[in-house]
Amino acid sequence: MSWWRRLFAGKRMDRDLDRELLFHFEQQVADKMCAGLSEQQARRQTRLEFGGVEQVKEDCRESRGTMWAWSVLQDLRHAMRQLRKSPAFAITAIVTLALGIGANTAIFTLVQQILLRSLPVTNPSRLIRVGDKDDCCFFDSFENDDGDFDLFSYDLYLHLQQSAPEFEQLAAVEAGGDRFSARVGSEPGKLLRSEYVSGNYFTTLGVGTYLGRPLGENDDRPGAPPALVLSYASWQADFAADPGIVGSTVYLGTHPFTVAGVAAPGFFGDRIVSFPPEMWLPLSTEPLFEGGNSSLNQKDTDWLYLLGRVRVGTNQKALATRLSEAMQQWFLTRPNYTGHGRAAEIPRQHVVLSSAGGGIQKLQQQTGTGLRLLMALSSVVLLIACANIANLLLARGAARRSEIAVRMALGAPQGRVVRQILTESVVLSLIGGFAGLLVAYFGSQMILALAFPQSRNMPVHASPSLPVLGFAFLISLFTGIFFGAAPAWASSHAQPAEALRGVNRATRDRSSLPQKSLVVFQVALSVVLLAGALMMTRSLFHLEHQNLGIVTSNSYEIIIDPKEAGYTVDRLPALYRELENRFSALPGMAHVSFARYVPLGGNEWGSCVVQQGQPAPGPSDQCFSDWNRVSRNFLDSIGVPILRGRGFSAQDVTGSQPVALVNESFAKHFFPRQDPVGKHFGMDAQNSGMFEIVGVFADFKMANPRSEPRPAFLRPLGQQYPGLKNPNDAAGEAASLYLNSIVLNFARPQRDAETLVRRTLAAIDPGLTIFHFESYDAEVAGNYTQDRLIARLTGIFGGLALILASVGLYGVLSYFVARRTSEIGVRMAMGASRSRVISMVLRGALSQVLIGLALGIPVALFAGRSMTSLLYKVSDADPIAFLGAVSVLALCALAAAFLPARRAAAIDPMQALRTE
Amino acid sequence: MKHDSGFDLPQGTLDLLILKVVAHGPIHGYAIAQRIRQMSRNALEVQQGSLYPALHRLEYKKYLNADWKLTETGREARFYRLTSRGKAHLESETASWERLTEIVGLILQGSPGEA
Repeated sequence: MSWWRRLFAGKRMDRDLDRELLFHFEQQVADKMCAGLSEQQARRQTRLEFGGVEQVKEDCRESRGTMWAWSVLQDLRHAMRQLRKSPAFAITAIVTLALGIGANTAIFTLVQQILLRSLPVTNPSRLIRVGDKDDCCFFDSFENDDGDFDLFSYDLYLHLQQSAPEFEQLAAVEAGGDRFSARVGSEPGKLLRSEYVSGNYFTTLGVGTYLGRPLGENDDRPGAPPALVLSYASWQADFAADPGIVGSTVYLGTHPFTVAGVAAPGFFGDRIVSFPPEMWLPLSTEPLFEGGNSSLNQKDTDWLYLLGRVRVGTNQKALATRLSEAMQQWFLTRPNYTGHGRAAEIPRQHVVLSSAGGGIQKLQQQTGTGLRLLMALSSVVLLIACANIANLLLARGAARRSEIAVRMALGAPQGRVVRQILTESVVLSLIGGFAGLLVAYFGSQMILALAFPQSRNMPVHASPSLPVLGFAFLISLFTGIFFGAAPAWASSHAQPAEALRGVNRATRDRSSLPQKSLVVFQVALSVVLLAGALMMTRSLFHLEHQNLGIVTSNSYEIIIDPKEAGYTVDRLPALYRELENRFSALPGMAHVSFARYVPLGGNEWGSCVVQQGQPAPGPSDQCFSDWNRVSRNFLDSIGVPILRGRGFSAQDVTGSQPVALVNESFAKHFFPRQDPVGKHFGMDAQNSGMFEIVGVFADFKMANPRSEPRPAFLRPLGQQYPGLKNPNDAAGEAASLYLNSIVLNFARPQRDAETLVRRTLAAIDPGLTIFHFESYDAEVAGNYTQDRLIARLTGIFGGLALILASVGLYGVLSYFVARRTSEIGVRMAMGASRSRVISMVLRGALSQVLIGLALGIPVALFAGRSMTSLLYKVSDADPIAFLGAVSVLALCALAAAFLPARRAAAIDPMQALRTE
Repeated sequence: MKHDSGFDLPQGTLDLLILKVVAHGPIHGYAIAQRIRQMSRNALEVQQGSLYPALHRLEYKKYLNADWKLTETGREARFYRLTSRGKAHLESETASWERLTEIVGLILQGSPGEA
């Protein structure tokens, strides 16, 4: 019988043992009676000889090898009994633990789902990405200052694919993504996210389909009939899980596609994003939509991430070197990279390989710092909670000292008593951990909703997975041992004799040392959390209340896609005129304007700028400027003033002098100490006289609310520059005429703007789909989602820490006062004043708080340094945050200490002495 | 291990004695204690506090088997039997015990000068 079966057969074995010993006993009695003793005498003598039957049984169990498990069971039962006996203590402890463990598990759920997970594909560990940064979405030159390349053109992709046989497969995927309105038959269109992928995408990942077939090399050839694969989630949500969709035709805009298949259920693409693609399209279909502006056909447009499956045993270092060399060779054939002294930059260009088992690390890089910070903060909260419970247990242990002393006097070994107390704390923490799982589920659901407010089919879920359950279990076990250790240690040093002598009185109480240390520890950690929370909150305040340079109240942003709806360039002026007229006619409308991209809407476009007559800038010259094409009253609609010169006029059309408005940064950077109005500049050296600057407008933030405004220039709606020789440039110029964003600025708040806008747009052209509708305020606020989330969570954690630390201090001081009642009584009888007693108690508290602060502030300074990248206009040693944290903590500590101090002062000396 | 005769049995010796007694045939715990006392001419008194843990240990090591059977007086008792493993163990232990006592005897009888 193995030992665990013996353990469960334990009941029967115990019965057997009883019977066996009883038989022995009776036999001995019988023998004694034979020898002439009376039955009574015989029994008495035998009982004396027998000694402790329980001890014999215990020894037998021990020699059977089940003693260990048997006593654990016994300890568990005892622990449950103890907890049932003091429900108030149990509930306090469990709630505290549930919050602590729950907070940790919630954050860990996200860490696990976002940072630690592998893609649901075959052998994810063999997936390698060529590149390591989250650069996006289009580049056409050297990418990073250190020469690191992350985005590749299609031509470069083909070149690298040929030069690296180490890859079983090397796939290319679109770095950005698009949306199309997808129609089946005469049904209304549905907006679906798309991603262009190379024909070997599904083979590379080793992912199959639920229905139909995946995309293959044959789908990714010029002229192949357009095909697409739907994601399983989209098939369920948007196509009612209709199996008949496979093989049928779906119109993306005006282009018919055949649905080749529905991807495997768990598959969400090659990266974790809040909007995973709902369909995958072959790269070869990109020119269908983009025409002459197609990135696929432009050899220097970098817009693809590369993702490959390497052969087993590939040396990655050698592979990276080989790829870098192949890339440099390719650059040498491209005038774009060799002209204007750029060739000197080529030897520095290289690729870095990164593991892609978890997919392309995009969300990971964006949220990693924040998640790691939250993980650290939540574990600090848990530590504080543990310290509190340790304190509670210590106080309980003191109350149970006589019980423990009796048990030790009766022969309970020290180890057994320690284990008993540890068992109790572990039971407590496991129950707390279980409750924490519930907290975690709702917590991570809330965090996900706050962090990714508009996600759709996001492959990150709040429901606990196996690793999360394991994490919660381990962390519960750890906390149980952690907070149980101090009380167990304290009680194992109990002197049975001393405790049995029994009076619970003390003047100097050495057992309160661990309690005081725990309070010091809590104060120190709370300072760290509070300082962190205040810094994050102040950073968020600075972000939200900064001067962005634009006015967004009562404005809405709408995104449409006229090109997808079939509008050609020559029909655009009429469309924009019609849109402007119809929307301007709406009641209360102040401004209607159009732009390629709206400020802080999440997108921007830029180009190199060359002043007239200047040579092409060298590789190290800062020639980059944002540029945007906007309608005449765009600046008015976002409240940006013209500082010099004029705005756009009705005369700025194709055929007249091409004009541009520039911002102050542009003027300062490209025309320092000159009046820029009347000057000319262009986007390359051949066309450096392209535009005439007609005005200067005030700086505003275009893309990143954290960085200072960058140079930017605006061009008027509809004005095309005719002189571009390069067909790619000409195609790009034509594409820039499509302005997809509409800004509607009302004079006053609107009740239901969305319905109004949808109705108006449908009346103009029902074929125009609204891709996006959002109030401009919300659009801007979306830039701070992550900051707001982190500020809120650190605030919650800081508040929790403050409460827990105050409760801890209060508990220790109350205990201290209760234990020293008689001493205080004596002091007062001897003439100590009440204020002296109060100050004695407060002094005790003060010393703990001061030591805690002295330990906590350096840690907080250190922690602040690790948060620098998350802070906006707040230094990592922000004096206001630190002062605030210290004073809030001091106030709470004072309040927590004052109650017990007052109780001490209210002690009646007579009463206290009578209890002596 | 305590007994009335006033000296301690060396570690593991009780196990050897029990195995030897059980080797004569199935026997219950009380009788084992009695037999040891008789065979030692009342020099060894094995207390149940040592006897039963030892029996359970030997059973755990699979040197002994135990069954409930009726005694001659008609009461049910737990009878122990030697297993083949126990028999082998008894033989090897007996041999090493004999060897040990022989060596200890040699040293105790000899005078230091002979060495």
